[in-house]
Amino acid sequence: MSKPNSRPTNVNELFKQVLLQGTLLGAAIATFGVTIGFIVAGEPGSASALIGAAIAIVFNGMTALSVWIGGKLPLGGFYGVVLGGWIVKIVLFIVVIGLLRDVEFIHGPTLFFTLVASILGGLTIDALAVLRARIPTFDE
Amino acid sequence: MENTLIVADLASLGYGLAAIGPGIGVGLVVSKTIESIARQPELASKLQVTMWLGIAFTEALALIGLATPFIF
Repeated sequence: MSKPNSRPTNVNELFKQVLLQGTLLGAAIATFGVTIGFIVAGEPGSASALIGAAIAIVFNGMTALSVWIGGKLPLGGFYGVVLGGWIVKIVLFIVVIGLLRDVEFIHGPTLFFTLVASILGGLTIDALAVLRARIPTFDE
Repeated sequence: MENTLIVADLASLGYGLAAIGPGIGVGLVVSKTIESIARQPELASKLQVTMWLGIAFTEALALIGLATPFIF
C-alpha cells in the first residue's frame, strides 16, 4: 500500500491516496464541525455537522470511485459508469436533502457550512494529489 | 397559503437550476475526454485523471446549490 504522502506514479495509487486523504480530511472537518455545531446549536448542531461531512465524503468518494472503476472498462462502459454514477449521485442527494429538510434535529446552517467546507476541502485534496502525481504520459 | 405555494415553486426551480448547469458542464467534460481518448488512446489514463478533476469541480457547484435550502 502506498504511503499517504508519497507521490502516486499510477492511476490506482492516485485514487487510493485521494480516497484515503479525502476521508481523513472529512473526519477532521466533521470533528471541528461537531464542536462548533454544539457551541452554536447544541445537539442538533453536532448531528447536522456529522451528517453534512458524511454526505460530502460519500459524494466526493463516489466521483473518484466512478472514474477509477470506469477507467478499467472499455470507452462505452467508462462513459456509462461516470455519467450514470453522476445521475445516481444527484438523485440520491436530492432525496437525502428532501428527507432531511423538515427533520427536527437538523440545524440547517451548520449542516450547510460543514457540507461546503468538506466539499471545498475534498477539492483541495483532489487538486493537490493530481498536481503531485507523476503519472506517465503514455500507458505501458 | 398562496405565498407558501409560490415559495415552494421557486424552490423547485432552484433545484432544477442547481442541477442543470453542472449537468451540462459534466456532459461537456466527459464528451471532450472521450473525443480525446478516441484520438489518442495511449493518453487515456492521463486524460481520465484530468477529467475527474474537472468533474469534481463542476459537481461541487451542484452539491452546494442543492444544499442551499438549509440556509434559506
